[in-house]
Amino acid sequence: MELTDAGFIARVLANDDQHAFGELVRRHQSSVRGLLRQLTRTDISLADDLAQETFLRAYKNIRSFRGEARFSTWLYRIAYNCFREDARKRKELVGVDEAQLQAEHDPQTVDPGLRHDLMHALNLLPRNERTAVVLCCQNGLSHDEAARVLDIPLGTVKTNVLRGREKLKRTLAAWGPN
Amino acid sequence: MNAMIDDETLDRQLREAAPYIDDDGFTARVMASLPAAQRDPRWLRAMILLGLAILGSGIAYVLSGGFIREGMIQLSNFPIWLLLVFAFGCGLVVGAFAVIFAIRKTPEVRDLTRLEF
Repeated sequence: MELTDAGFIARVLANDDQHAFGELVRRHQSSVRGLLRQLTRTDISLADDLAQETFLRAYKNIRSFRGEARFSTWLYRIAYNCFREDARKRKELVGVDEAQLQAEHDPQTVDPGLRHDLMHALNLLPRNERTAVVLCCQNGLSHDEAARVLDIPLGTVKTNVLRGREKLKRTLAAWGPN
Repeated sequence: MNAMIDDETLDRQLREAAPYIDDDGFTARVMASLPAAQRDPRWLRAMILLGLAILGSGIAYVLSGGFIREGMIQLSNFPIWLLLVFAFGCGLVVGAFAVIFAIRKTPEVRDLTRLEF
């Protein structure tokens, strides 16, 4: 029988079992790296560095994981914190990017080769809406879980998801075949 | 402008559009960056605790004078069924504490029982 996340965590806690932690990394690496690639706008190298930092922090702080949330939710929270700290260091704006907004309001400016590309449309969303959509719609987190990951009020998450979805739908409809 | 898709379809397409990212050596890099595992000398800790327990018992026996010996003699005069009930009761109490401690320490069991500690 395959062990659950909780089983592997118990092994790490009891015996400092690094093989068990390795299994947790293997299980969650794709979703964590995927989230960070979305946050960093597909800067794969940066996203992977942040993902590595995420798992390193998770290992060092695994005793603070109390099992109240899913392990993946806890990882997403660490990943998001890593991303925010890095963004602060790089003095990036964590918020609306003017160039993105412009492209968003004028879908015709997008390379025709990228039309119908959902992931590209997702990248055109402002970061707060994109993050909420990725967490809730793509990774299946509840609004409450996403609010904990992003450390923002539940109502803000709901608004961001709603707005993000509407913008995505509008963009995809504008890109669709006439 | 084309008709807009519904939320459910959009969510499904988003999930399907998210590619699975191959490990491609990522886990190995993470594992290489982890600090060395701390090997607790658990056997040493156990031996120290056992030694302290024996030492404590010895000191208590010496300091109590004949109290413990007399207690043992009195206990041996009790009927056997009473001793069995007493031992069983002690076992139940210790077992209950052990179960509570195990649940608190095991996330899987805690999730299973959905108990808040």
